[in-house]
Amino acid sequence: MMKHNLRRNPVLAVALTVLAAAAASWPAPAAAQAAEPAVDPAATAALDSMGAYLRTLKAFHVEVATEREEVLDNGLKVQFDAVISLVARKPDRLRVDVSSDRQDRQFLYNGKEFTLWARRLNYYATVPAPPTINELASALEEKFGIEFPLVDLFRWGTTGGSSARITAAVDLGPSSVGGTTCQHYAFRQEGLDWQIWIQLGDFPLPRKLVLTTTTDEARPQYQATYSWNLAPSFNEDAFTFDPPADARRIVLAGSSPEAGASK
Amino acid sequence: MTRTTKTLLAVTTALLVAGAPALAGQGGNNVRSSSRTSVNRNTNVNRNTNVNRNTNVNIHRDIDVDVDVHHGYGHGCCYDDHHHPIAAAAITAAVIGSIIYSLPPACTMVMVNGFTYQQCGSTWYQPQFVGTTTTYVVIASPR
Repeated sequence: MMKHNLRRNPVLAVALTVLAAAAASWPAPAAAQAAEPAVDPAATAALDSMGAYLRTLKAFHVEVATEREEVLDNGLKVQFDAVISLVARKPDRLRVDVSSDRQDRQFLYNGKEFTLWARRLNYYATVPAPPTINELASALEEKFGIEFPLVDLFRWGTTGGSSARITAAVDLGPSSVGGTTCQHYAFRQEGLDWQIWIQLGDFPLPRKLVLTTTTDEARPQYQATYSWNLAPSFNEDAFTFDPPADARRIVLAGSSPEAGASK
Repeated sequence: MTRTTKTLLAVTTALLVAGAPALAGQGGNNVRSSSRTSVNRNTNVNRNTNVNRNTNVNIHRDIDVDVDVHHGYGHGCCYDDHHHPIAAAAITAAVIGSIIYSLPPACTMVMVNGFTYQQCGSTWYQPQFVGTTTTYVVIASPR
């Protein structure tokens, strides 16, 4: 159709050629900028402030609603919801309940032992644990392939935090999350584009997080919205597993094949 | 393992898994990727948790536990908090080290040294967490 028109309309063809030439001669830097936005230092500074603030919290309770997408072999993208309730007292107490259609899990840590409990199946596994929440998070990931719930809350503001890996950072301005005024930022790092909404004012907490995994062309997303309580009440028993009557102890399969089979 | 060997195994598996033809060939329902859930991940969490790594003869290919792929829908795998009778039909031979997501019917729970085992006929299963997912691995009798 286009070919046909151009052949019959030499004036239009010439006009298009001129336009194309004009477009090609536009300054190259603008195009490069569009492809890879620069790192706005204010955005990474806000992230660092949030991290530093999180590191000052002695105890907190956070309720988080999450949505996670998976991509099937045939390209269908499907979404799963979960609710996470996490109570932490630094440096060595943690209680997390993760509830979804698929799994209902409790993570308990009292500075000495870690227990994973499958509530509905009533199976649990208890293993000796390192002395801090951060070390526990690394140990669970590395030894047992366990994704530590909301691990970012413990890693932002630490030396292993993400800001060094950021290749693009943008400040998108104020945004309300559940009635709380936040500042909205977008970041890029290898394999991941992400956005965060950080509460404005004296309590720079993350209120919402969206992760877009860019290693799959379907770009599956994860979203989390946070409700914070910075003065939680709990007693010491809350962090130690007290097996229900019918609970059955099982093993945590380690990364070595023997770990699951022996003992 | 070559592709041909895999195919042969798959065919063999299909023959072995009499009574569960619906389980075979569910390509398309497996998960090829899932969204990351954290910005600050130290490691690729799934890297070392391919529990089939040392399972040479994978009788239970159809309900294969491949944590790198994580879940496969309709395999009785994902909703691990519910027992799926569909997986039970697949158990005709139990090779030590093979892994299933849910138990065949009529198993007896046995405690040995404080840990839980399931005896199903002459086959013993050890329940375990792989990541946060519960699976059952075939083992030699613990007693």
